This record gives sequence, C-alpha cells and structure tokens, in this order.
Amino acid sequence: MRVAFVGKGGVGKSAIAGTFARFLARRGEPVLALDSDPLPGLAYSLGLERSDAPIPDDAVEEKAEGDSGPRWRLRAGLTAAEAVEAYAATAPDGVRFLQFGKHRGDAGRLWRSQFAYRQITRELPADRWSLVGDLPGGTRQPFTGWGNFADTVLVVVEPSAKSLLTGRRLARLALAADRTWRIVAVANKVREPGDEQLVAARTGLEVVGAVPWDEALADAEQQAAAPIDVAPRSAGVRAVESLVERLSAAPPAPATDQEGVA
Amino acid sequence: MKVAVVGKGGSGKTTASAIVARTLARHGLSVVALDCDSNPNLGLSLGVGDDETERLASMREALDEGQEEHTPGWDQLIERFGSDAPDGVRLAVVTRIDNPEPGCL
Repeated sequence: MRVAFVGKGGVGKSAIAGTFARFLARRGEPVLALDSDPLPGLAYSLGLERSDAPIPDDAVEEKAEGDSGPRWRLRAGLTAAEAVEAYAATAPDGVRFLQFGKHRGDAGRLWRSQFAYRQITRELPADRWSLVGDLPGGTRQPFTGWGNFADTVLVVVEPSAKSLLTGRRLARLALAADRTWRIVAVANKVREPGDEQLVAARTGLEVVGAVPWDEALADAEQQAAAPIDVAPRSAGVRAVESLVERLSAAPPAPATDQEGVA
Repeated sequence: MKVAVVGKGGSGKTTASAIVARTLARHGLSVVALDCDSNPNLGLSLGVGDDETERLASMREALDEGQEEHTPGWDQLIERFGSDAPDGVRLAVVTRIDNPEPGCL
C-alpha cells in the first residue's frame, strides 16, 4: 500500500499518518513512513523521540558531467533498500522513518534530499514495502512531485470552511495531475452527525474514514507523543485503525471513473 | 502600519489576520488585507464568502497561466485582484499557484 496524506495545515495529517503507519506495521507489512513537510511533525506521531532522520549528504552524489539521468542520485552501489536500512530511524512496531522536507540551510542540500526521496520511493520494491507519506500542508507543494509514489491520496479534511475549501482545491489538483491514483477523503475532528456528509459534498470525494474530535489526540499533540501509545483505546486512534483495515481490504482503484480524468 | 502574520498551518494565522484587519478598519483606518498564502482562505475569515474567495483565487490563477495581464501598479492590483470586505477592509489575493508544475522535484 502506498498512501500520501495531504490537507490544509493543522488538519491532523501527521497524527493520522503516524497512527496509520503503526497499525499498518502491526499487520506485518514493512512500512516506510516519509515526512516531506518542511514543518515536520510525523516523527512524534510515530512515537520517535527525535524528529529528524535525514539521508546524509554523502549518501547522495551529483552525476558526472555528460552522464544522463537525474542530477543527483544515491551514491554508486547504494540501493534504495540499503539506504532505508542504513539511515531510516526505527519507530515502535518496526516502522522505518525518513525525513526529507526539512530545510537544512541551503538549497543544494534540499535538492539532494528531494532527489534521494524520488529515487527511494521509486526503487523500493513495491511488493515488499508499504509507503506512508506525510506531505506538505496546503495546496502549493504536494503535487509538485512529493506525492508521485502514491497509489492512494488521502485528503484529510476537518469540517471548517477553510479546510473544506482546501480539500476541494486539493481534490481538483490531484485529479488534474497526470496520474492514475485513487483520491479519497478522510474526515477528521468530526463532532456532529452530518460532518462526514459535509466533507463528501464539499470535496466531491468518497469519505473512506471519519476520525472523531478527540481530546486524547490533542493531548498527544501537546506532549509530542504518538496517539497510538498514549491513547491506544481512544475513539480517534480506533478510527484510524478502521481506516487501515478498510484500505487494506480494498486495493485502490484508479481514479479514472472520477469525472473522466485518467 | 504594516503587519505580517506568520505561523504553522492551522495555528490561526488567517483568523487572527482577519480580526486584526476588521478591528483596525473599525477604528477608522484604511485597511488593505493581503492574502499571500498559496492556499488563500482569508476571504472566508473576513466574511466575503466562499464564492468570492474562490473568484479572487481564480483571478490570480488566470494570471499564473498567462490569461490575465498583470497590473502596472499597486492601486490597480488591489482594484483588479481585490474585493470589498465588511467594515471597509479591501481584500486582495496576491499569490496562488494552482497547477502542479515540475518545479520542486
């Protein structure tokens, strides 16, 4: 399974993505969790103490003059799987974690990181690894390449006007991208009956999960802790577990039937 | 007075900006509210509504796609890409990129 979480800043992408990755790993799948948000938060939601796990600069080399292919790639002899083994942090339940989006001072380092991200997500064997991506918030960055690994785009939407409008824009952008991926919504911070229908109506997307408003999740955020560890029986965490079960049971169908966009 | 509001997504930048803008306007100042977010939602918090917020965003989008001419000065910019919000605040949407481009990766 290869899923990318997108949505307005603050809707709960990281909390849901981190919990999602942990439950997926408990099903026995090797899981790589990827944070490409320049404001990283996924590590804490996975249960890691440190928030950083970069691909080091010396693991990426610039192509020689005259060579074809991308400008940077993993150094000769280093495969995507070996890079994950060597550099990814290990979170509870065996989830591996890499941080790519954080700005580290200069553009060159960001470029290296982005090329490594592209290569790792492309070359990691799809039949073995599941990928869970926490993408940049808002509408500008997610579909500039960060989401390309995904077979399923999960648009996280809370029932506020701004988040609904952002969700609609993201749905439009995902449909316009030249990709065959499944684009669905996850309603978060659901407080009232009807919120889920509101998300469906305003984004035009199928809502595959509804996570209730849950103080336990807000508390976990405040403590920089993983919801699955500090509130394992909370309604919010259980809703994410149901989402994992639902998506695991139903492999993604391409979005070709949605408004005729392939 | 020129105020810029920054912060993490979801922390309340837009809501705070709108309240500050309308409060200043109620104190008698002429206020221009600039939505510089690539995902512009300030219109919602100022109270111009969903449709008008999207109309302004689309105007900016047309500019990105070369379907609109840019304005030669700030006053025309605020006129063309702006809208009147309550309390006399003038809202202008001054950035938005709508189509994925192979820019970053």
